[in-house]
Amino acid sequence: MSLLTPVQGWYHKPVAKDERMWMVISLLLCIMLFVWMIMWHVYGKQNPSNVTYRTSPKEYAKMAEAYLKKNMMGVDNGVPVVKPEPNSDVLVMGEMWRWSPVLILKKDEQYNIHISSKDLMHGFSLQPVNMNFQIYPGYDYVLHFKPTSSGEFKIICNEFCGIGHHTMIGKIVVIESDADLVKYGYDKLKAPTVFKKDSANAGVPKTEAEMMSAGEQLYTLKGCVTCHKTDGTTLLAPAWNGLFGKKETVIADGNTSDVIVNEEYIKESVLEPQKKITKGFEKVLMPVLTVSNEEIDQLIVYIKSLKK
Amino acid sequence: MDTLLNIPHRTCDITGFKVDLRSQTLIRVNAVVAVVCLLMAIVGAILLVFTRYQPVHLLSAEWYYRLVTFHGLNALIFWIVFFEIAGLYFGSTVVLNTRFCAPKLGWLSFILMVGGMIMVNVMVLSGKADVMMTSYAPIKAHPLYYLGIILFAVGALLGVALFFGNLMIARKEKTYGETLPLFTYGLMAAAIIAVITLASGAIIYIPTFLWSVGLIQNIDAGMYKLIWWGLGHSSQQINVAAMVSIWYLVSFLAVGGTSINERISRTAFVLYIFFICLASAHHLMTDPGLSSAWKVWNTSYAMYLAVLASMIHAFAVPSSIESAQRRWGYSKGLFEWLSKAPWGNPAFSSIVLACIGFGFIGGTTGVIFGMEQTNIIVHNTLAIPGHFKGTVVIGTTLTFMGITYYLIPLIFRRKIVAFKLAKAIPWLFFIGIAILSVSMIVLGQFGVPRRHWDASFSGGPFTHNFNPAVDFFWTLMMLGGSLAFTAALLWVLQVVVSVFFGPRVNGPQDMQLKISALAPEGKKHKGYEAPGTLILTLLFLLTFLVLFFLNWKWLAATWNVN
Repeated sequence: MSLLTPVQGWYHKPVAKDERMWMVISLLLCIMLFVWMIMWHVYGKQNPSNVTYRTSPKEYAKMAEAYLKKNMMGVDNGVPVVKPEPNSDVLVMGEMWRWSPVLILKKDEQYNIHISSKDLMHGFSLQPVNMNFQIYPGYDYVLHFKPTSSGEFKIICNEFCGIGHHTMIGKIVVIESDADLVKYGYDKLKAPTVFKKDSANAGVPKTEAEMMSAGEQLYTLKGCVTCHKTDGTTLLAPAWNGLFGKKETVIADGNTSDVIVNEEYIKESVLEPQKKITKGFEKVLMPVLTVSNEEIDQLIVYIKSLKK
Repeated sequence: MDTLLNIPHRTCDITGFKVDLRSQTLIRVNAVVAVVCLLMAIVGAILLVFTRYQPVHLLSAEWYYRLVTFHGLNALIFWIVFFEIAGLYFGSTVVLNTRFCAPKLGWLSFILMVGGMIMVNVMVLSGKADVMMTSYAPIKAHPLYYLGIILFAVGALLGVALFFGNLMIARKEKTYGETLPLFTYGLMAAAIIAVITLASGAIIYIPTFLWSVGLIQNIDAGMYKLIWWGLGHSSQQINVAAMVSIWYLVSFLAVGGTSINERISRTAFVLYIFFICLASAHHLMTDPGLSSAWKVWNTSYAMYLAVLASMIHAFAVPSSIESAQRRWGYSKGLFEWLSKAPWGNPAFSSIVLACIGFGFIGGTTGVIFGMEQTNIIVHNTLAIPGHFKGTVVIGTTLTFMGITYYLIPLIFRRKIVAFKLAKAIPWLFFIGIAILSVSMIVLGQFGVPRRHWDASFSGGPFTHNFNPAVDFFWTLMMLGGSLAFTAALLWVLQVVVSVFFGPRVNGPQDMQLKISALAPEGKKHKGYEAPGTLILTLLFLLTFLVLFFLNWKWLAATWNVN
C-alpha cells in the first residue's frame, strides 16, 4: 500500500509465479548484455581505444605543427592536406573551429590516428559512417582506424565549442588507389616549399616573395584562416584582404578609438589579442597563439599582399 | 496524535491525514516555483525547436546556444528539483501524519534555492554563461554562475536533510505503523541518491568556482567530466526513483492498487541506491583516458543491476493496477482491467502514459546507447537528447504533471478549473513528446549532432549533406515539439488559474479525481497474478531486442576501430 504501512506479513509473502518468471527473464537479459560487451572486444571490430597519452594543449599543438610541416602536401579550402602511410602515426588536431589536417587514407589499411584538442572539448563525428568520439585538451587519444568504405567523409564537431561551433567541419578522403586522387582534385596539390628541409629555401625566408609565401602557409597552418577570411566575408573576424592601412574602430578597456592597421598594430593584436578589439567582433575572442617574431613578420607581409 | 498538538494543523476532510500547516506552505511555495521554472523551460524549448527546424531557423547562433543552456538548466534541474523538494516534504510529513522538523530551515533551503536559480538564470540570459548545462572545463562561465549553482545545490541538500529529519520524528513518535509506506520508502531511496549526487556536485563545482575567480590554475577536462556526470546523470536517477514512487502512489489513489509483492518492490529501490549512480559512465564511453574494463563495469551498473530494478518496477507497477482491477471485478480476458481503467482520471492516464514512454522510448534507448561500443554511433548526436526526452520528459515530467492534479485539491485546497481539459492534456503532451523524441532519435542515428546551430555548416571550409530522409524527421520533430509545447502551456495555465483563482475545496464532494478505496481482498488462487502485465512486459522485451540488434548491426557496418 503505497500510502499506508503494508499489511501484516508482507515480508514473507511468496512471489507470484508470473512476477518470478519476469524477474528470471530480466536477470538473464542483464547477464546477456554484460557478456555481450565483453565478447564484442573479442569478436567485434568496433571498440573504443584504451590508448591515451598525457599531453598539454601547447605541446600537442607544437607536435601537430611539426607533423604538418613535414607531411603537408597541399591545402584544401584553407586546411592542410596530408596523405599518411598506412600503419603510421597521424596527428589530428581539433581547435576553435577546425579539424586539421584533411586526411587522404587508403581503404582497408590501418592508421594510428592521434587526436587531441588545442583549446576546449570537441566532438569528433565522422559522417556519414556515423562514428563519434570525445576529444579533450591535454589528452592524446589514439584511435586505430581502418576505413572499410571509400569516398569523401566529413568530420563534424558535435561538442559545443563556442559561437563558431557549427563552422567546425573537416574532411577525410578514402581512396582505393592513387588513381582515385583525380576524383577529389587532389592530383594537382602542391606541397609548400618553405617548410621542406631539403628545399633550397630551408631556414629563414629572406626575400619579400619568400616572406609572403611563408606567411600564406602560416595562415593555414596556424588556423588564422578559420576566422579571418581573404574573400571579404566577416562572419567571425575582420577579413584580411584590404585590411592593411585601413582605419578600424577598436574598443580598448571599454573606450572606443580609431586605429590605422599597420605593422605595429598587427603585432600587438597577435601577441595580445584582447587588448584592442575591433568593433563588431566583441563576441568572438581571439586565442593567444604561439607565434615567433619572425613568423609575425611573415604574416604581416602576407596581409600587406592581400588587396581588396 | 499529540505530535501535532501545539502546532497549527488541520485534519484533511478527504484523506483523514493530519497536515502541519507550516509544511503545507513549504510544499506550496516549492511547487509554485517549480511550475514557473517549467514555464521558462518550455518557452526556451519551443524557440530551440524552431531554430533547429532549418526552414525557420529562428534564433541567432548566440541566442541559440544561450537558450540551450537556459532550457537545460530550467527543465532538467530547477523544475524537477523544486518539485521533488515539494514531494519530499509531502511524503515525509502529510503521508506520515507528522510535523515538519524545522520549518525555518525549510525556508532557508527555499531561499537558497530560489536565490541560486535566479542568479544562474540572470547570468545565462545576460550572456555571461554560454557554456551549456554541462559547462565542460576548460570552457568558462562567470563566477556568479557557478556560485548560483552551488547555492541552489546547498539549498536542495538542506531540503533533503529536512526530509530525513521528518522521517526521524515520525519514526520516534510512531506516527505510522511499523514500516514506511512504499511511496515514502521510494522517496527515501530518491533522497539517498540525491545526497550522493549533490556531494558529487559540490566536489566539482567548488573547485570550478575557485578556478573561475582565479584561485585555481587549471581544471583537468577529464576529471571535470567524470565528476560532473556524477551529478548530471545521478540527478536523473533521483527523478527515476521519485517518479516510480509516484506511479505506486497513483495506482493506490486511482484504483486502490498495491504492489503485489512489497518486498520485491522495495528490494528494487535498494538496487537503485547501490548501483544507479555508476551511470555517470554512460557519458564517458567514447572518451580518452579510461580503460574498457572500467567502462564495461560502470556503464552496466555492475552487471545491469539497476536495469534489473527498473525491469522489476516495470512489472510491479502495472501488475499492482491489474491485480486491483481484477479484484474490483474487471477480470474478463487478459485486458479488461486495462480497458475499464479510470482513464478519465488525468493522474492515472499520466502515469500509464509515462510508464509506456519511459519504458519503450527512454528505457530501451538508454540501455542500448549506454553500452560501451554502441555508444560510438550515437554519442553527442541528437539521439541522446531524444533518449532523455523519453525518460525525463515523458517519464518524470508527465508523472509530475499528473500528480499535480491530486496536489491541487489536497494541498492547495482548490478545485481544478476546466477539468475536461485536464483529461486531454496528458494525451496531447504524450503524443507530442513521443513524436519529438522518436524523431530526434532517428535524426541522431543519421548522425545529426546535438547542440548545433546550423546543420548546413554555413561559413565552414566544407559542408555535409545528411541523408535526405532527415528533412522528414525535422518536420516531424517540429510538429511534435509544437504539440508538446501547446499541451505543456495549457497545463501551466490550468494549474496557475486553479491554484490562484479556482473555487475552494470544502470536502470530499469537491474532489474531481477519485480517491479509491483499497481493492478488496482477492480469493486465493494458484495461477498468474497479472497475466495481462506479463504479456505487456514480454512485448516490451521484444521491442527491446529488435532495437538492440538493429543498433549492433548499424555499429558493425561502420569502420573498424580499436
